Amino acid sequence: MIVNNGGTENLEITMSSINTRSHKAQKVIERMGKKLNRQIVGSLVACVHCGMCTNACHYVLANPDDPTYAPAYKADQIRKFFKKHYDWTGRVLPWWVKAKSLYTDEDLEELKDTVFGKCTNCRRCSINCPMGVDYATFNRMARGLLVSVGVMPEGVAVVSKDQWEIGNQMGVLKEDYVDTLEWLAEELQEEWGDPNATIPIDRTNADVVYSINPREVKYDPRTISDAALIFYAAGENWTMPSECWDMTNFGLFSGDDDLGGAVARRLYEKVEELSGKTLVISECGHGYRSTRCEGPNWGKLDVKFPMESSVITMLRYIREGRIKVDKSKNTTPVTFHDSCNNARSCGLFEEPRELLNLVCSDFREMYPNRTENYCCTGGGGAMSMSEYTPRRLKSAKIKADQLKATGAEIVVTSCHNCVDGLTDLIRHYKLGMQVTQLVNLVANALVIEKKVMVPVEEITADLAGYRILVADDEPDFVTFVATILEDNGAAVMRAYDGDEAIKMARHEKPDLMTLDITMPGKSGIEVFEMLKKDDDLKSIPVCVITGKPELRKLIYDRPTTPDGYMDKPITEENLLINIRKILKVHHHQETVESKKQI
Amino acid sequence: MPEKLTIKGRTVRLLKCDITDLEIESFVFYAREDLALGSGFGNAISVRGGPSIQQELDNLGPVETTAAVISSAGELKADYIIHAVGPKFQEEDLEEKLRTTVLNALKAADQKGIKAVAFPAMGAGFYGVPLEISAAVTLGIIIDYLSGETGIEDTAICLLDSREFKPFENQLSSMAAA
Repeated sequence: MIVNNGGTENLEITMSSINTRSHKAQKVIERMGKKLNRQIVGSLVACVHCGMCTNACHYVLANPDDPTYAPAYKADQIRKFFKKHYDWTGRVLPWWVKAKSLYTDEDLEELKDTVFGKCTNCRRCSINCPMGVDYATFNRMARGLLVSVGVMPEGVAVVSKDQWEIGNQMGVLKEDYVDTLEWLAEELQEEWGDPNATIPIDRTNADVVYSINPREVKYDPRTISDAALIFYAAGENWTMPSECWDMTNFGLFSGDDDLGGAVARRLYEKVEELSGKTLVISECGHGYRSTRCEGPNWGKLDVKFPMESSVITMLRYIREGRIKVDKSKNTTPVTFHDSCNNARSCGLFEEPRELLNLVCSDFREMYPNRTENYCCTGGGGAMSMSEYTPRRLKSAKIKADQLKATGAEIVVTSCHNCVDGLTDLIRHYKLGMQVTQLVNLVANALVIEKKVMVPVEEITADLAGYRILVADDEPDFVTFVATILEDNGAAVMRAYDGDEAIKMARHEKPDLMTLDITMPGKSGIEVFEMLKKDDDLKSIPVCVITGKPELRKLIYDRPTTPDGYMDKPITEENLLINIRKILKVHHHQETVESKKQI
Repeated sequence: MPEKLTIKGRTVRLLKCDITDLEIESFVFYAREDLALGSGFGNAISVRGGPSIQQELDNLGPVETTAAVISSAGELKADYIIHAVGPKFQEEDLEEKLRTTVLNALKAADQKGIKAVAFPAMGAGFYGVPLEISAAVTLGIIIDYLSGETGIEDTAICLLDSREFKPFENQLSSMAAA
């Protein structure tokens, strides 16, 4: 069926066609020949255009009058140049099979819009295809072909480069990562009054090496400290690596198998270097799929140690009696969102439900669920492609309806990407639900008898002496944040627009500033830039709190990023965790600086 | 397998480390034409080195592919950063452009009187230059250059992981044997 796999000798790629084709288009066609395998070719040739995939796709359900969202149509945009160059039907009957080549860079841009902007690679159409066409697999291949010639959304480029060169997809530097772990360990020890309640870094011969998503370090450290508490309660011999700790893998989203292999290899080799027994992967759908299922193939590696999701680990601890839980501690109605990568690609859907029923008293199923569940709409790297945000949120209507129908107040998911995607759509559709993970619920349900109570004063007044500027144009929100901070001892100043924020920052020199992005006068982005360019103000740590997550380009695109970032709505607990972390890290950095000067 | 080669008393070393955190007089950053530092190593340079580096670059760019310009290194451990604009993503004449880029980086260092330069795996990783080509070109040009008249005494190739290290080690080994 395939006339040639190598590309360069293919009769269809003649010299005349090369002369009229752009360099990038030529490279895409040549590289396709190297990427075709049995699974991909099977999917490319098997489609009978029956339409069974159409209503499986959340993009189609949100755009019923636009055929360009139909999986079969999207697949045809890739299929047509496969037919033209690698399938005999395209040579013999090109008009019949609609074979068509790629010629210009504009053709590549159009393809980019389809493969990155109209599909999250959720694979729901794949499991609904009677012919076994796995569109997501060759959609990913097409992404990889475009990435290889530098055609990709800007966010994909930013994140990929961070993961290639810094070693994690959020560009967290080693010193910041280690600082955060040490700070969390100190908090844990203080809370439990036990030096063993810690986060061991680079311990050799540990039974568990715990790998995480960089989002946990940067925006959700509570998931790390909750996991640490569970390991402590279970008496686990565990560790976290100081380097090569990122279990996420942007290669899955970008289609870059080289990146996929490199990232997975780094983590595997780190586990071997530490002589770890088992690699435990924190709750992340694409991280779990990449690390446990795809990484060995991308990296062509024989991994000698077992790998498991932390969901399995927590469930195992309860079954083995290593931890005790009390489900009456989690009484708020919860539902569960299956991550596409966990459920459809890895079969991980019964264990989280078993765990939920052990730690929550009111679990309500969402329909459809398990492998038929709808995508959070933030998968496939969509959260990093801000140019497609309106499309993404429109397509989220089906997910919003699913969530609302459960009547639950909390949606639980075992995926950090889904946490962001769901949080965004919940805000957009004003559902008023919270998003959390199993690790948080398990930690909350733990029964630990030896808990040492910390005097109330130490908890409630730990921001005493700090001066914090709250800048936001919503008076109610300012009051909410200010009240929490003042109750915890901070002196709070308030600014209601960008100009006032800058003026007060110059005048008051606060120890920290919370900053909304969309404000009258100067936007939060302008305020942030002015702060960072001003020698007197640039050291003021900034925590962005925004209701416009599509403006996260502030975080991803700029050389100097904010010290913290939170999506609205926020909770008191999350606000305090973030503020304390930023002040602590900032204090540590200042101490290091002053030591250097001495 | 050798991890170091000496030519006329000048050294080429292979290291496994983060180039932006290295204590060396200068290092090469595989730059964009607009000289925006961006993400990846650029992010590390911005965060660790401070905003003065990008401010300095704003007055130097844009430059063409294969050009190399030097900036200070802000608060980094190095004194200088050599911003070398190499070829990217399978672009035409990739190998030739990579050769010229490495050569221009060395010449720029010499003109500045710099004696020690660290290189990353030039163009490998995000920009897709195959590691074998990166190793052959980078080491080939460096060794040629150190064999001639130059004030550069020490060069290091900083590699991120075993995947990058192995091809450079193989290349250095075959060059040492030759």
